[in-house]
Amino acid sequence: MGSLKKSKPSSGQIFIVGIFIFYMILPIIATYIFSIATRWDRTILPEGYSLEGYMEATTNPYFFITLKNSLVLSVASVLVSLFVVVPTVYWVHVKLHSAKPLLDLLMILPFGIPGVVLALALVQVYNFQPISRSPLLLTAATVVFTMPFMYRSVSNNLAAVDIPTLTEAAQSLGANTFNVLWRVIIPNIFPGILSGSLLVFATVFAEFTLARLIVGAGFKTFPMLLVEYTRKDGTIAAGMSVISFTIAWIVSLLILWASGKGIKVSRESIGAR
Amino acid sequence: MRQSSKNRNRVLSWLGLLPFLLFCLAFEIVPILLLLRDSLFTRAGELTAANYQGAVAPLYLRSFWNSIKLSGITALLGTTIGLVVGYGVFRWPSKRVQDSLIALSDVTTNFAGAPLAFAFIIVLGSNGLITQFFLKYLDIKLYPEFSVYSLSGLILAYLYFQLPLMVLLIIPAFGGIKKEWRESATNLGANTYQFWWNIGLPILAPSLIAGFVLLFANAFGAYATAYTLTGSKLSLVTLQIGFTITGEVLHEPGIGQAMAVLSLLIMGTCIAIYQVATSRARKWTRG
Amino acid sequence: MMTYLELTDISKNFGNVVAVKDFNLSIKKGQLVSFLGPSGCGKTTTLRMIGGFEIPDSGTILLADEDISKIPPNRRGIGMVFQSYALFPNMTILENVMFGLKMQHKPKKEMTSIAEKVLDLVRLQNTAKRYPHQLSGGQQQRIALARALAIQPRVLLLDEPLSALDAEVRVALRGEIRRIQSDLGITTVYVTHDQEEALSISDMVVVMNNGLVEQIGTPQEIYRKPDTRFVATFIGTANEFHGIVTDSENVKAGNLVIKTSGLHNFSIGSEVVALVRPENVEVFDQKPTDSMVNVVEGDVDTITFHGAITRLGINAGGKMITADVTITGRNILSYHQHVWLSFNPEYCKVMAEK
Repeated sequence: MGSLKKSKPSSGQIFIVGIFIFYMILPIIATYIFSIATRWDRTILPEGYSLEGYMEATTNPYFFITLKNSLVLSVASVLVSLFVVVPTVYWVHVKLHSAKPLLDLLMILPFGIPGVVLALALVQVYNFQPISRSPLLLTAATVVFTMPFMYRSVSNNLAAVDIPTLTEAAQSLGANTFNVLWRVIIPNIFPGILSGSLLVFATVFAEFTLARLIVGAGFKTFPMLLVEYTRKDGTIAAGMSVISFTIAWIVSLLILWASGKGIKVSRESIGAR
Repeated sequence: MRQSSKNRNRVLSWLGLLPFLLFCLAFEIVPILLLLRDSLFTRAGELTAANYQGAVAPLYLRSFWNSIKLSGITALLGTTIGLVVGYGVFRWPSKRVQDSLIALSDVTTNFAGAPLAFAFIIVLGSNGLITQFFLKYLDIKLYPEFSVYSLSGLILAYLYFQLPLMVLLIIPAFGGIKKEWRESATNLGANTYQFWWNIGLPILAPSLIAGFVLLFANAFGAYATAYTLTGSKLSLVTLQIGFTITGEVLHEPGIGQAMAVLSLLIMGTCIAIYQVATSRARKWTRG
Repeated sequence: MMTYLELTDISKNFGNVVAVKDFNLSIKKGQLVSFLGPSGCGKTTTLRMIGGFEIPDSGTILLADEDISKIPPNRRGIGMVFQSYALFPNMTILENVMFGLKMQHKPKKEMTSIAEKVLDLVRLQNTAKRYPHQLSGGQQQRIALARALAIQPRVLLLDEPLSALDAEVRVALRGEIRRIQSDLGITTVYVTHDQEEALSISDMVVVMNNGLVEQIGTPQEIYRKPDTRFVATFIGTANEFHGIVTDSENVKAGNLVIKTSGLHNFSIGSEVVALVRPENVEVFDQKPTDSMVNVVEGDVDTITFHGAITRLGINAGGKMITADVTITGRNILSYHQHVWLSFNPEYCKVMAEK
């Protein structure tokens, strides 16, 4: 596209991209600064700085409870997703290719269901004990919501590695089913599994809608506490936002690292098909 | 191999899909179907359209209109601005910078929700950073005509995660415009505008449609950002459905269900258009 | 030598597509047999049935007199080399080569020594610690071969191993495969669609088409004495003269009367096609003596230089005849030059017009 090889971006480019970066970064930086500001409603820059907001936040018992709840929810969602989604993706890819369109369709569905609608449907159907309005129901909901992410990650990895041929090669060398899975298949789809897990973790950790509507006060999550503080104490809310942002950044970096670490497949062996 | 054992293998293979199918049925498909069913029946068990009639009563119709307005405007702005920004990023000479910009978009598009809403309050609230900047340095009073808690504020907040989504979608689409097409067009006498008007934009069109529709659906289904920013001041479909669940406002439960089903129809249409548009885009840029 | 690998009445269908039908073959120990044919002819399917990756619908496969059709692929002791190399990306070269030995639970010392020996065999000893993606295609394929040999298989199967490689690498590598196979005396089945490959390295060639065996023979037999029209035209090139048998020796094809070495199998009046290979067509720049038979006149239409030989396309009254000649300094030919062609009746193969 455009055969001119430029060495410097044009001024128009710099302007547009610059505004874009400014628009993206300003709210984040403002949040970081607000969390350590003493007073900031009369001036461009804060009147003073302090870490009191963070200290107050951590003394609130709810802070650690909600943090723990969110972490537990995220880890549980990852585990359920791993057990339900990953083997299914592998199974369809290897043994049941005719089911792939069905699987693709099922993995598109969550994108078409807004969180509120899923919450409404689940709450009305599962209105009996012990599952009614419970963290278990919430976990099921978050897994449904994040299925496509795990699916896409593992699916892309599977496509990049010629599983059937590698399986046959391993079998011709005497490997039984366990060895094929353990020594050949899983090591080669591990980057996809890792990326998918990180993505599910980050998405569930930040999830507010499902948590609030399905369980509500019975199982307060970190984002729910954050919303409470936006109406009570801005500095603490900002501090919690900082924590959310930071966790998201770290996970994004980990995902980049995980996919970069992906087992390299030579271009030649892919072209050999 | 005998036909019967081949069939048996086939059945066994499908059995492997069972756990996943059960999970989807239990927590996704069946609840939605029941939702659909319940929306069409009264509590007494009679088939009725009353719920849907109620759902389009003026009170709720306004929330539909607001949601559509919000989604449409942010999708339109997101598509057009995202197209320009995406092109700027795509043509950036340094690959490292380009990758960083793509990574930035990847992260920020997922920043929807309460932290984002609050960040916009910090920046554009009545005492916000930018508000004060405008006041002190440009002598412009944003308030009270503008409020971050209003529709316009919501638009700006939504735009924050709509824009990078479009950028992420459109960059590969630009990549699909082959260098050879530009070169042969130039060779046949076309200038830049003619190339874009006759070849470039038409090739991009399916991706633009896909992007618009995706952005629309993305905005329509959003809840957390709006909830944090407006509470109950602005009426949106997702917020109304949310009230049904938490019982904050007294509704006929059937109406909430009807609204949910209508939302699904709207989202479903978006997804369908998206699928058609992307497969068209893929077909053109593959060969 | 006894028969080592025997396939009897092997058939395989996929849905209602016939992939292989009535395949019969006996391979002696140490032989290299090629399955040769166009894509879709069933050669790969048959290979995979030997390896255990497809199950025949009917027929038996005996290896050293043992029926192996019920044995799963990971216990047949058959080594396989794939077109796409199939090296495990998550392991080093050494780990790849040792994989089969690991599955046999051999002690570490023995594994390493065998692995190093086979790496020596394919002359890639110094790649042991590298990863597959760091090697070229040709190198990866040699490692794949080493990996299959490491388990000392009873039979070695190669599925179009060179198709993905550059022409130059292909020629070198096929010679190396043949050398190693011959030195080790491993019974080998080699699938390819490249006839030059099959003819140059095989002890026996099985020509296949549409799921059926067309002919089984040595490379020379396949080339010089094709049994069927398909084999005659698939292997090498041939000029085709369509005509009618007029008597016990001659075929009338258009204006031409072709004298053959004997038409006892054909009744007078039957429709036949006479096939003559280009290298058997002699070219004269002057009218030859009357004692020469099968003389055709024409003009040189195309001249294609192939190095050792030059291929001529001669237009003989509307019919294109291909002749291969060696051009020396004295007999240079030019376009539109009028020439005379002749071929010996011995080199004329006549087959029924289907």
